[in-house]
Amino acid sequence: MADVLGAFEQAVLLAIVRLGDDAYGRAILKEAQARLDRDVAAGAVHATLDRLEHKRLIVSRLGSGTPVRAGRARRYYRPLPAGIRALNDARAAVDHIWRGLKWPLVKARSFA
Amino acid sequence: MTDDPSTLPPRWAESLLRMMLRPADRESISGDLLEEYRQSIVPALGARADRWYVRQVGWYVLRATWPWAALAGGILVGRYLLDTLAPVQYTRGIRHPRSTIMSWALIATYALGGCWQAWRTARLSGGIVGAFVTTALGGALSSLGTVLCLAVWHDPQMWRAIQGSGGIEEALYGVPLMLVPVGVLVGTVGATFGRTAAAIYDVSKPNTKSA
Repeated sequence: MADVLGAFEQAVLLAIVRLGDDAYGRAILKEAQARLDRDVAAGAVHATLDRLEHKRLIVSRLGSGTPVRAGRARRYYRPLPAGIRALNDARAAVDHIWRGLKWPLVKARSFA
Repeated sequence: MTDDPSTLPPRWAESLLRMMLRPADRESISGDLLEEYRQSIVPALGARADRWYVRQVGWYVLRATWPWAALAGGILVGRYLLDTLAPVQYTRGIRHPRSTIMSWALIATYALGGCWQAWRTARLSGGIVGAFVTTALGGALSSLGTVLCLAVWHDPQMWRAIQGSGGIEEALYGVPLMLVPVGVLVGTVGATFGRTAAAIYDVSKPNTKSA
């Protein structure tokens, strides 16, 4: 059983998968904001990336800088096999929980 | 979108951010924030972009210091609770074990907080700023904890006990304010050890492993 991922961790890890070779800090932040449809603190994304790397679900390398970043290096991320496994497990767990229910749910029955 | 190199966030905020980051993250994270600031935030928010940047920096500072601040605040609130719920007779000139234990626990917290911050940032200034934030935030948390305790226990007997153990003013702002210079001083000593250890073990090398 791979690591159990929280919803935000899944959003960040899926952003890395979607972005492929362009998965660096700011791009991941924008992707996570777009998918979650809310403002996300850059620090929250960086903290999550740090945690995922610590869990050995992703790996990073330093790339080159650009003038808009004042030449500061970008850190690029890519998922490791354990990260992909963790995402698949998370998706399977949600599918399993929802199995047999129609989505979206209608109003719950009352205890009348 | 602005790529204008003269579009810069507040210099002090950027210095503070770089001071509080690990060497491995210093370039990449400050670069991410600068890129976002120039390309998305300034065009969208204009003059309010600086506030956005300061808020982001605050997030990193809080993340680096909150465990130590929570510990310092917890020690202070614990002491007030003990003094209020299980009062002891303090005698002028004689240190009660409760005072000694609390004082050393706080000193250890400030020293370790400064040491840890200087170690992870490989900067003495990071440790000193970390100690200041830890002390100030810990004091604010202890004031908040005191208010919460008062909201729960506020009968006349409790008020008499509070007045007998230094008074409400001491708990709300007297001790937290008094501890700021103490915390910074002790934290600076801790930071000196942390910085020395970081130099010995060379933690300042950026993480450049390839994916």
